[in-house]
Amino acid sequence: MHNCDSLDPLVTPFVDGALPDADRRAVEDHLRRCPPCHSRVTAERAVHELLQARRPTLCRTTAPDALHLRCADAVHANAKAVDAKAQKRAATAELQNFRDLQNQNLRTPHPEPRTPNAERRTPNPLLSRRLGPVALAASLVVVVGGAFVYQATDKSARVMAAELVADHAKCFAMNSALGTHQAASFVEEAMASSFNWQMHLPDTSRAGLELVGARPCLYGEGRIAHIMYRHQGRPLSLFMLPQTARTQEIVEVLGHEAVIWCANNRTFVLVSGEPRREVEQIASYVQASLH
Amino acid sequence: MPRPGLRLVSPAFEAEALASLDSLYRAALRLTRVPADAEDLVQETYLKAFRSADTFEPGTNLRAWLFTILHNTARNRARDRARDTVAIDSEIVDRAADAPPPGSRASAVDTPETLLLRETLAPELQAAIDELPEQFRQAVWLRDVEEFSYAEIATMLSVPVGTVMSRISRGRHLLFDKLKALRPANA
Repeated sequence: MHNCDSLDPLVTPFVDGALPDADRRAVEDHLRRCPPCHSRVTAERAVHELLQARRPTLCRTTAPDALHLRCADAVHANAKAVDAKAQKRAATAELQNFRDLQNQNLRTPHPEPRTPNAERRTPNPLLSRRLGPVALAASLVVVVGGAFVYQATDKSARVMAAELVADHAKCFAMNSALGTHQAASFVEEAMASSFNWQMHLPDTSRAGLELVGARPCLYGEGRIAHIMYRHQGRPLSLFMLPQTARTQEIVEVLGHEAVIWCANNRTFVLVSGEPRREVEQIASYVQASLH
Repeated sequence: MPRPGLRLVSPAFEAEALASLDSLYRAALRLTRVPADAEDLVQETYLKAFRSADTFEPGTNLRAWLFTILHNTARNRARDRARDTVAIDSEIVDRAADAPPPGSRASAVDTPETLLLRETLAPELQAAIDELPEQFRQAVWLRDVEEFSYAEIATMLSVPVGTVMSRISRGRHLLFDKLKALRPANA
């Protein structure tokens, strides 16, 4: 049987309904005999219930949109830091490789006799594989990632296009804030590892496209690839939606043109604010050169 | 040389973590009372959370984990500033929390007041909450509005569970007295 002091630590869990049955019954028993404790419980319960009843209004304050963007980017700030370290390690390893190869060349005779000049002209396959995409990077702008619109794949073309246009605008806004720069090889590897999409970026120098970089999109399932280009300085996005099929069409939405086509069990959507004819031309170029 | 993946945390983790942003911001506002400071605090919380995502135990409450990071960060910041400001002695607050609420055992059941309390509007309630001493305000809010368990709140505030309960109890009674004063029974 409880007295007022032993009841004390049980009052709050009693009000919250967090007591085991035996304790709850003992408290109720005491409350029936003790008006002061009963009064205390009543007051505490009244406040508890009032707070719960006013919860929706008390929780009405929301964080500013800019904070949402910054926090969503926190994940990429970390990824960038890790990536920077990894790239530094890779560069160091590459330099070491290069030195090792040089030492090898100096120390060991080649199986086939070669003149020094001939050797200089023959590109090291290891280095050319790594340096090739870097050259390409100078002329191509790409931002990669999963967009939050995977669920949009079942919706109408217009709804899907509208969500992709919103994502297009959001990613470009973020990218200009972050100033990311990534090589084409990085994008291709990310496409292969994140989306199981073995692709080669088209040679875009002819199409007037320029590479800025790569980063993952922030929202949702991450199952839509988002590749961003700059076409003569203006943003242009290519989305890849896996395992979906749609009819080929072009949709105008939110002041943008969205060209939709399918290939190899994938849907592609190219989004741009350029005039329709130009967007169609770029789309057919990208469509033809994407493998 | 394997390249790091583009993601350090799974999309599901990222999405679930970011879904708590508004409630973390409200918590940060209650802690700092200054919107700019609250924003900084929330951003730092997410930076830390994503950086140490591998220490999160799957199956436990991710929102509670984020709140713990937020409160720890706020405490560390307060500690850094403590040299320049006069901090509330938390032991005094806790002793106050352990004392029985004034008048609570002497008065009879205030049925009219408890009924009137239900008429209290959210702005009045918010103002009364804002006037509560820091430790009681946090405990009551985390329990009654955010609906965390005593154990989760204890981890967040870095105090024993018993202290959490007495702070909640004390905070509720302080709120009751404030709100009762706003609405006299004979009004």
